[in-house]
Amino acid sequence: MQSLTRLRGHLLQGALALIGSVLFTAVVHAAAPSAADLQAVEKQLNSLGDRITRLQDLTDVEIVQNAYGYYVDKGQWRSLSELFSEDATLEIGGKGVFTGRPRVFQYMVEAFGLGGPKTGSLIDHQQFQCLPTIHEDGVTAEARCIAFVMSSGGWGHNYYEDDFIKKDGVWQFKKLHGPFNMYSGYKLGWFDQVIVNTFPEKFPPWPDLPPTIIYLTYPSYYVEPYHYPNPVTGKGMPAPSPRAGGEAFGR
Amino acid sequence: MRLLHKAVAQALCLTLGLALCNGVYAKDEAARLAALNQRVKAIADETAQVEAITKIQRLGRAFGYYTDKGYFGEAADLFTEEGTFQWGVDGVYKGKARIRELLTRHGGGSMKEAPGLPFGRLNLRMQLQPMVTVAADGKSAQARWREWGLLGQYRKAAIWGDAIVEDRYVNDGGVWKISARAYYLNFEAPYQGGWAKLQPASGDWASEVAKAFPPDAPAPQQYQPFPAVFIPPYHYADGNLRAIQSRPAVDAPKRADDALGKLEALADAKELALARAHSVRAIENLQAMYGYYIDKGQWKKAASLFGKQGSYEFGQSGVYIGNSSIERGLSLMGPAGLESGQLNNYVMVQPIIHVAPDNRTAKARWRSDVQLSRGGAGRWGGGVYENEYINDNGTWKYSKLHYYVTFWGDYDAGWAAKPIPMDPPSTTNPPDAPPTLVYESFPKLQVVPYHYLNPVSGKPNTVE
Repeated sequence: MQSLTRLRGHLLQGALALIGSVLFTAVVHAAAPSAADLQAVEKQLNSLGDRITRLQDLTDVEIVQNAYGYYVDKGQWRSLSELFSEDATLEIGGKGVFTGRPRVFQYMVEAFGLGGPKTGSLIDHQQFQCLPTIHEDGVTAEARCIAFVMSSGGWGHNYYEDDFIKKDGVWQFKKLHGPFNMYSGYKLGWFDQVIVNTFPEKFPPWPDLPPTIIYLTYPSYYVEPYHYPNPVTGKGMPAPSPRAGGEAFGR
Repeated sequence: MRLLHKAVAQALCLTLGLALCNGVYAKDEAARLAALNQRVKAIADETAQVEAITKIQRLGRAFGYYTDKGYFGEAADLFTEEGTFQWGVDGVYKGKARIRELLTRHGGGSMKEAPGLPFGRLNLRMQLQPMVTVAADGKSAQARWREWGLLGQYRKAAIWGDAIVEDRYVNDGGVWKISARAYYLNFEAPYQGGWAKLQPASGDWASEVAKAFPPDAPAPQQYQPFPAVFIPPYHYADGNLRAIQSRPAVDAPKRADDALGKLEALADAKELALARAHSVRAIENLQAMYGYYIDKGQWKKAASLFGKQGSYEFGQSGVYIGNSSIERGLSLMGPAGLESGQLNNYVMVQPIIHVAPDNRTAKARWRSDVQLSRGGAGRWGGGVYENEYINDNGTWKYSKLHYYVTFWGDYDAGWAAKPIPMDPPSTTNPPDAPPTLVYESFPKLQVVPYHYLNPVSGKPNTVE
C-alpha cells in the first residue's frame, strides 16, 4: 500500500514534470506551420517546377531537331515523318510548302528516293548551333539551327527557323522551314562551284503551296529573320541594308 | 534519434491525452518547415545555375548567327559596355564600338552600310561545342567554344577557319553578357590544299586588320598557329569540375503521410527533375571537354573522364577497358601532345541526351566531324557516337564511349572520290576485346543503332 502510494506520487511527479516540459517546449518553440506557410512553399515549388520544365523543354525541342538530322543521314523517311505533327508543314529551299505528315513522307521519298542508306551516297545532315526558344505558353516553341551538309556532292549550309508544338506532353515539329544558304561542289568548294536554290518545278513532287519566300543563295545575300530579339538588348532585328548586301527578293 | 523522440512524445501524448502536446509537434513541424524552405532556396539557386548555362549557350549561338550575316553591331551588343575582345595575337579591343568595327573588318562588312554583307562575301562562323562553367555565386561564368569558319569572297578566295574561344560572362541583373572574349585563331587555311599544306608562321603573324586597325592593348600571350600545336588555356585548368557536375543520385526518401510530408515529397520530385535537367548540361559539357582534350592529344586527361570500368571503342579498333587501357587506345591517334603539323580536331555536335529517370546513368548520341593532318596529308572524317555515362557521386563520367565511323576521306580528292577504310585492331597496342560490331565505313553505310525510340511517335526506328 505504501509502495503503491509512493508509485502514485512518482507518477504524478513525472506527469507534472512532463506537462511542464511540454508547456515549456510549446512556449519556447515556434507554433505549428500555418496553412499559409504550407501554401507558400507549395507555390514556390510549383513555380520552380515550371522553370525546370522549361529547361527540359529546351532539351526536348533540340532532340526533335537533332533526331531529324540523324534520320536524313540514312534516309529513314518514315521515322523522320513521325517527328511531325499531323498537320505540320515542311518547306525546304525554294521548293514550296508541303502540308501534313503524309506529304512530308512523300516529299522525302520522291525527292531523295526510297528509304534506307545507299552504298556510295553520303547525305550527312549535321545539325549545328541550335538556338531554341520556349514560349510563355509552354506548349509552343521555335528554334534556329544550321544544317551543315557533307554529301557525296560536296557542301551545304542551310538555316532552319522551325516551329514546335507540345501535344500530349510530346514536343514535335509544327513547321519546318529550311532556307538554303550555300551549296557547293567539293573540288573548289564555295570558291565558285555554288549551286542555286531549288525551285518548285525543279523536281517532283509538286508542293501544296507556293514558297513563302523567294530569295537567292550564296553568292547572293539573304538573311532569314531571327525569331528572337537580341538576348542582351532585347531589341528586334533591323532590316539589312540593301547597299550592304542587297536585301532578299520578295520579303 | 528524431524518430525516437517523436515516437516517445506521441506515446506520451496519447497516454496523457493533452492538447498541450501539440507543442511537441509544433517543434518538429517548425523544424521540418525550416528544412523545406532551405531546400526550396537550394532548388531556386540551382535552377538559376542551369538556366545560366542555357542562356550562355544562347549568347554564343546568337553571336554566330549575327556574324554570319553581317549583323556586327548586334553581335557587339552581346558584350558589356566595357567588354573586351582579344583577337589571337593581334591584341585586345575594348568597348562595344571597337568590337563592332573589329568584327566588321574581319567579316568584310561596312560600318556605314549595315547590317549586311556585300555580294559574294562568305563569313560563316559556326559556334560549336560549348563547355560552360557557372560560378557558384551565379554572378559570373566562363565558357570554351569552338569556331568553325567557312570564309571567303566569291571567285577570289575560299578559306577554312579554326579557332578556340574562351569567354568570360557577367550576370547583369538577370541578363547574361560577354565581358571578355579571348579568340585563339588556330588557322585560316585556303580551301585548295587545306590546313595540311600550311607552313609555319614566321615572325609576326598579326592580321592585316590589326595593321590597319590597331588594338587598344597588346595580347597577353603570343603563340604560333597551326602547324604548331598550341593549347589555348582552359578556364578549368585548376581542376574545377563544376561544369560536369550535377546532383548525386539519391534513393527517394519515404515521407510522412501528412501535409508537410506531401510537400517534402513534392520537393523530392522537383529536385529529381532539376537534377536530371542539370545532368543534361553536365553531359554536354563532358563531351565538349573530352573533345577539347582529344584535339590536342591529351590522352591522359581524356582517359580520366571515364569511370573505373569504363570502355572505349573507336571504329574497328576494338574495345579498351579501364583508364590506363583507354589511354593506350587513345594514343593510337598519335603521340601524347601531338607533333607539329598534326591536327586532330574532333568537333562534338548534335547531342541527343537521355538521363535515366533515377539520375544514375545516361545515354547520348553525338556526331563528330573530324579534321586531321598527318605528315602533310589532310583528311576528313565523320561519325556517330553512342555513349553511356554514370553519375559518380555528382560528377558525370563515361561508362562507355563508342565512335562509329561513317567515313574517312582524303582532303584533296574528297571522301566521295577517295574514301579511306578504317584501321583494323592494332597489333602493337592491341585492344582488350574485339570490335562489338563489325561493319565497313563509306562507301558502305550502316544505320548506327539508336539508344532511343522515335522521340515523338515512340515507335522503333525504321529504314523505310
